[in-house]
Amino acid sequence: MEFTREIYWNVGHGAATLVPMYLLFIIALAILVYGFRQRIAVYRQGLPLDRTDHLGERVVEMLKDVLLQKKVIHVAWPGLLHGLFFWGFFLLLIGTTLIVIQADFTDLLFDIKFLKGTFYKIFSIVLDLAGLVAIVMLGGLLFRRYVLKPEGLVTKPDDAIMHGLMLTILITGFVIEGARMAVTETGTPLAPWSPVGMAFAGLLSGAGEGTLLTIHKLTWWFHLLLAMAFIGLIPFTKFRHILTTSANYIFADRGPKGKLVSLDLENEESETFGATSLKEMTWKDIFDADACTLCKRCQDRCPAWATGKPLSPMTVVNQIGEAAFTAPDSQLIELIGKDVLWSCTTCRACQEICPAAIEHIGKIIELRRSMVLMEGEFPGDEVMAAMEATEVNGNPLGIGYATRGDWAEGLGVKTVGEDGDVDILYFVGCYASFDKRNIAVARSFIQLCQAAGVKVGILGREEKCCGEPMRKMGNEYLYQTLANENIELINAAGVKKIVTTCPHCYNTLAKDYRDLGLEVEVEPYTVFLERLINDGRLKVTAADLTCTYHDSCYLGRHNDIYDPPRALIRAAGGTVVEMERNRAEAFCCSAGGGRIMAEEKIGERINIRRVQMAQATGVGVLVSNCPFCLTMFEDGVKGAGIEESLRPRDIAEILAERIVK
Amino acid sequence: MKILVCIKQVPDMESKFKVAASGKWYDTADLAWRMNEYDEYAVEQAVQVKEQVGGADLTVLCIGGEQVKETMKKALAMGCDRGVHVADDKAAEKEPFEIAGIIAEFARDKQFDLIFTGMQSQDRGSAQVGVLVAEMLGIPSISTIVQFAYADGRIETRRELEGGVKAVVKAMAPALVTCQLGLNTPRYPTLPNIMKAKKKELLSLPVADLLKVDARQETTKMYFPAKKGGGLVLEGELGQLADQLIQILKEKTGVLA
Repeated sequence: MEFTREIYWNVGHGAATLVPMYLLFIIALAILVYGFRQRIAVYRQGLPLDRTDHLGERVVEMLKDVLLQKKVIHVAWPGLLHGLFFWGFFLLLIGTTLIVIQADFTDLLFDIKFLKGTFYKIFSIVLDLAGLVAIVMLGGLLFRRYVLKPEGLVTKPDDAIMHGLMLTILITGFVIEGARMAVTETGTPLAPWSPVGMAFAGLLSGAGEGTLLTIHKLTWWFHLLLAMAFIGLIPFTKFRHILTTSANYIFADRGPKGKLVSLDLENEESETFGATSLKEMTWKDIFDADACTLCKRCQDRCPAWATGKPLSPMTVVNQIGEAAFTAPDSQLIELIGKDVLWSCTTCRACQEICPAAIEHIGKIIELRRSMVLMEGEFPGDEVMAAMEATEVNGNPLGIGYATRGDWAEGLGVKTVGEDGDVDILYFVGCYASFDKRNIAVARSFIQLCQAAGVKVGILGREEKCCGEPMRKMGNEYLYQTLANENIELINAAGVKKIVTTCPHCYNTLAKDYRDLGLEVEVEPYTVFLERLINDGRLKVTAADLTCTYHDSCYLGRHNDIYDPPRALIRAAGGTVVEMERNRAEAFCCSAGGGRIMAEEKIGERINIRRVQMAQATGVGVLVSNCPFCLTMFEDGVKGAGIEESLRPRDIAEILAERIVK
Repeated sequence: MKILVCIKQVPDMESKFKVAASGKWYDTADLAWRMNEYDEYAVEQAVQVKEQVGGADLTVLCIGGEQVKETMKKALAMGCDRGVHVADDKAAEKEPFEIAGIIAEFARDKQFDLIFTGMQSQDRGSAQVGVLVAEMLGIPSISTIVQFAYADGRIETRRELEGGVKAVVKAMAPALVTCQLGLNTPRYPTLPNIMKAKKKELLSLPVADLLKVDARQETTKMYFPAKKGGGLVLEGELGQLADQLIQILKEKTGVLA
């Protein structure tokens, strides 16, 4: 016998089937198009932003993310449920498309049938199992949402519609197959190639043939109606994410990661800076809300949310979208709330994990920019004082600028003004220049460079804050003022390479300063030192050390530098006992986003939470790579009352103690 | 309505101070400069009055070298309408009577309804200039105010007295007030106002045109106070610390005798 089946069996392949079927399909498509045209009009309220450059590469990335479900399954539970459901449903879609192609085109027009023989057997078993997988996974997702009810998961009527519709479509599919098989396939060699279909056939086998034919025909039309309803509902329910999330992969920010958009402050025409309303946000800021599936992964990882602050990145993104659709004249800052906006540490945990390529941080910064630049508002007087201190002395600590280079006393380090013939310019940063605890790190770094025969120069008292905390707080004007002064100095010095011990300085010099004319290569000290060790220029002895390692947000998530610091600890003889939240999942120290200048007034203290995570590893040393982290941890161990059992240290200090003389 | 606010540029108090070679003032090398703190309260209050009455014209006056224009720009960005820079590279050598004389000479024919000054400067700290200006102009002055209200030419203030006591003092404009910490929180200039400030009128007048009075006092010497016995920080185990402390108390004091 020929392994195949009659397409449109029992429902007929005449005009009486095809005309209403295609009519329904056209109506469904028309509704889909209508729905999206309405939504596109809403997206277009935003400012223009080019996100279609390198279109070919963007499309390839999109295909990888959609077809492989890369971002979705990155979090195995419940990502794999969605991934497997997607693949099951996608195979069913391909199967249905093949049927349509054969029945209504190749066979109808050219008498070509390809759903036969071995290919049909494979087709049959693949679709059968795909349907089963899709049902089981959907069941899992249903169970999670409605029975397990994970904390923070927002469930709306949309979700019930989606789960119900999908499940009904899948089950009716099997009912149709079962009824057909009960009449035509039971006992044939083809039957084992549809095990699930056979099971349904078994369930239906008690009915007479007449009843089976009626069940089949009615269910077939019902299934078709549901499928068309699904298509039509896409723009009006969370089903839209099928298209919007996929499209957002195309429109994704292509980096450099964590580089902010520079404001044109020279433009005499501009009267507003930053954003207060939708008209000052980009279309992408509105579109992001439509791409969001409320999976809450961002919220689950947000250090502000985790410590009782009002910020949920998910909520912020969706409030902007909701305003765009319901109240486009909304004042976004009031709508979202100032405390919400000030709570962000720009740690990037939200953006890094988002399976929909949404950009949370940029939105928050745009709104902060408006508060600072248009209203002169800050999260507290202490932040305003730090801004003013920076204006006067070039550092947020308010220490006299003339003493900025004093930390290097006795080390024989010259400024590039005194001697410009150097291997590297060490951009020291404010904390390593003025904060006693961090001066030890700067001095360690110099000792390491000297041991490796690297000639280091500094800017000395002329160096100013890189401007990162001010910029992240929204003070673009102060940032650009500081940046321009630093860039002029650096360019005048004619150095070839800059090394930083602060990842905030690093990210700012290496990415943000590019907009303002800095072209010199910039490297973080961890990468620089790792190379010195690998090249044999820097020799350290391996002395026992069991520690845990904290990935700073700006070395880790913002720059994907996870291995060099760990390699350095190993080279020093250290063993890293990882915290549960490490690498891209690391929990912020609280000081990013300019929060180093602000008091943490709401909720629990983030730094205390983090040192407790470190303490839970049972080791006595917490190694980090960032002056802000070190400062927050020194403060955190005291706050948590564990300064006796947990000692915060910087990688440079660990290495400097082990220099082979 | 016409308002005048007088400001001074002073070194940031976090700077490391050295006595200048003249021995009569501090050395100005390596210092960072900013607006005198009390003058910031004065500017803020003046701007608030301007915003309250609408249509007022607010002049900011500053005496000093070219570099004080930076500080004046901040006052303009905070909301002053025009700047008067009394160009004087030797302003630091002038005593309060001369400074007040310069301001009064400028203000005499301008019919200012209100004059705001800081309660004192952070560097010289004489607290004389404001009240002297009022005397010279023959108008009432209220010093060290921590609260200010203005309506229809009437001024009502609260002055800070010793021991946390406040006094309510009223006066009719024209009048001069000197501003104390606690009066208000000076605003952070917005970017549009910073940009506007760059285009505002900033008139420079030579000090010689305005200095019509003679000095009445002279600074003869400036010096750091002699270091008295420094503190002692004890470090070590708690038990040992107690022993050390007892030892020191026994040796150096009579409290345990």
